[in-house]
Amino acid sequence: MDKDSLEQLKLGDQKLFSELVRDHHHALIALATPIVGRSEAEEVVQNAWVKAYKAIANFEGKSALRTWLSRIVINEAKMQLRSRKRELLFADMGDAHENHDALTDRFSDKGRWKHSPTNWHVDSPDALLMSSDLARCLERLLAEIPANQRAMLEMRDASGLPFDEICNELSISASNARVLLHRARAALFELVDRYQETGEC
Amino acid sequence: MLSCREVVQDADQLLAGELTWQRRMSLQMHVLMCHHCRRYIKQLRLLIRGIPFMHAKASDDEVDQVMAHICSGDNSEH
Repeated sequence: MDKDSLEQLKLGDQKLFSELVRDHHHALIALATPIVGRSEAEEVVQNAWVKAYKAIANFEGKSALRTWLSRIVINEAKMQLRSRKRELLFADMGDAHENHDALTDRFSDKGRWKHSPTNWHVDSPDALLMSSDLARCLERLLAEIPANQRAMLEMRDASGLPFDEICNELSISASNARVLLHRARAALFELVDRYQETGEC
Repeated sequence: MLSCREVVQDADQLLAGELTWQRRMSLQMHVLMCHHCRRYIKQLRLLIRGIPFMHAKASDDEVDQVMAHICSGDNSEH
């Protein structure tokens, strides 16, 4: 969003705010899902949009809009959990190291590539995950990976939140957070690589 | 010499600029000689940049629903 549009948005331009909703709504629901569960994520995000609309005049541009919106959603999700006296959805999911790394089987016993990555025929990041077939597989994958991995992926890579902030929000150690993020990215890499190689996923 | 598996495990921290100088050098030595790992790191970088775009845009109906919720919240305050 350019500077003039941002100023208009901060003055309460509803059309521009609608575009903001269009661009970020699904990403914010995806962010709230591993925290409160799919059934409550929409309600959390609806309430977060009301708060964002009221607070947009105070947006200082110190972070990206997606990051700013994500913080509002996370606060709203945590309020929802507190009001229902619930824990984080994945609080009892155990140690990050217990889960499987999707790329493990690609290496020989000596740690060399047994099945190396294929050459992806996409150069632009925004085009990489946009094919409708891949999008369906991606949705399925995100629903299948452990909630703590998904939370890391959504918070760090999709929302751009700083690593330290995520560790605080989720009350996890930096080393656990790194493992979770690596596992989530490995699962996504495996999916995209298979799709690029075979056209299926 | 690092193995390819170790390079893949460290690649996230390499891209985040979090590796020690010594570990970064070891990794770069390996990558100079291993085109599979070079490709992995290049494509991991592309993937990470693509993740913010992985969620589709909302439909007109969904946008209208959110805007109606915002307007009803506004009205209930007056």
